[in-house]
Amino acid sequence: MRLDNKLAYLLMSPVLIYLLAVMLLPFGWALYLSFTDKTVGMSAHFIGLGNYLDLLKDATFWKAVKNTIVFTVVAVILKSVFGMIMALVLNEKIIFRNVFRVLLFLPWTIPTIVSVFTWQWIYSDVGGVLNFLLLKTHAIGRPLGWLAEPNLAMLSVIIVNVWRGIPFMGIAILAGLQSVSKEMYEAAMLDGAGAVKRFFYMTLPSVKEVTILAAVMTTIWTLNDFEIIWLLTRGGPNNGTQVLSTLSYTLGFLNMSLGKAIAIAILTMPPLIILINYVTKRSLSSRD
Amino acid sequence: MENKSVSKQVVIYVTLAIMLVCALFPLYWMLNTSFKSQGEIYNMTPSFWPKKLTWDGYRKLFEKDFLLNVRNSFVVSLIVSLFSIVISMLAAYAISKLKFRGRNAISKSILYAYLMPRSVLFIPLYMLVSAIGLSNSIWGLMLIYPTITIPYATWMLISYFKTIPDEIEEAAMIDGCSRGRTLWSIILPLAAPGMAATFIFSFTLCWSEYLYALVVVTKGTEKTITLGLSDMIVGDVFAWGPLMGGSIIASIPVIIMYLFTSKYMVSGMTVGGVK
Repeated sequence: MRLDNKLAYLLMSPVLIYLLAVMLLPFGWALYLSFTDKTVGMSAHFIGLGNYLDLLKDATFWKAVKNTIVFTVVAVILKSVFGMIMALVLNEKIIFRNVFRVLLFLPWTIPTIVSVFTWQWIYSDVGGVLNFLLLKTHAIGRPLGWLAEPNLAMLSVIIVNVWRGIPFMGIAILAGLQSVSKEMYEAAMLDGAGAVKRFFYMTLPSVKEVTILAAVMTTIWTLNDFEIIWLLTRGGPNNGTQVLSTLSYTLGFLNMSLGKAIAIAILTMPPLIILINYVTKRSLSSRD
Repeated sequence: MENKSVSKQVVIYVTLAIMLVCALFPLYWMLNTSFKSQGEIYNMTPSFWPKKLTWDGYRKLFEKDFLLNVRNSFVVSLIVSLFSIVISMLAAYAISKLKFRGRNAISKSILYAYLMPRSVLFIPLYMLVSAIGLSNSIWGLMLIYPTITIPYATWMLISYFKTIPDEIEEAAMIDGCSRGRTLWSIILPLAAPGMAATFIFSFTLCWSEYLYALVVVTKGTEKTITLGLSDMIVGDVFAWGPLMGGSIIASIPVIIMYLFTSKYMVSGMTVGGVK
């Protein structure tokens, strides 16, 4: 096929111009401002690496780094494990499979803010159903402050993130499972391979690619989750759930120091770029 | 062998039941609460079925600006999705069907834009919108929401266009059809289901968005449904009845849309990486 440079650029120009004007240029401007003392409503003065050095000396920043890592790692592992279980179950011949599939995906479809409020109500210490159920079944001896105690609060925000995120992992792995050939399984069963063996030697390797790709995408999203934590705990109690995205918001919009807030966003870029590069490489190579 | 398959069935259905309870209980609890009276909600023993169904929660919503919030969200989501799908469709066609210099670099940058999280971009976008005087209005949101929907829609549509064999187009072109003509009367009809799914997805992305709305809009009458909901919390006081009622209303459109497109979910969510 001959080159269609002109036509192609013409067709792509609206998208490219838009992305350039509304994503790339503002981002470049923000990068510059991260080297200034820009506050809301004031003009910016160049201060070099000032914001970055301040952050690196700031204990709250390091706490947010640690929390971001804990939140992301735990949530992604849980989502992958439960997503795998969900995919394995939905891959079986079960009655009303499509109905169950649709129902299990519901947590992922509703707006994040809606699921956050619902969970906030479930966690509530006044009339909350979670404490009620756990007390009733004697799983706990006293009502717990799910969002009030730092360690529990971290667990609580992770639960909501995981609850929302399982369907994505589940559906991605299910797609992978459905492309595994049935003949291979039947042959393995004839050879006497048990269920556990079949899982580890056949199922897992065949969905490995998909699972890793979905897990990396999930990691990108989890790393940057703002809504769940902001709405449930505002990063508290005592910075116990403060992650980089909530700290950035707090510094930028409550303390008005935009320069420093942007610096946080810039500092999260290197790991993000590594992850995104991984996804683009995989996706583009599997596509062509 | 017989026993083994029975026990396997038991394990599968028990796991399925546990998963269903975990996935659906919070949604049920939202629905259940939305129909309870204020007194019943704050009862120390939660009731698992409203003793008396009331519409109070919903009624209170409409005493506020909630309908306006719903309308704003609807307008923003509709306009942004339409705009995005039209210009994304052109770009996706070029990327999937035409050979040109820089093709790989461009499709890579689109995927980059798709994966770039909002928490990195919210401050630059807030500053852009304030600089051009569009903060505090849904126009500001209409300007920046395409940063979410365009990369997503373009990436999705590239996948759909790739599934349409080049031969169909080539045959039409041999018969004397122009590029524009083949795009309009051959490719688009074939890609229609994918376009519809992409549109619906874009719509729900805008409908559910919170962070950009939070930083861009502070004026009550311009707020979207997600802001309207979060405004119902005043300090530490949660009006659970209206809040759950509002949550149900915010969920219904996206659930309905999702039911129509659930079969496109797989390719949609995993951005063509899984095939």
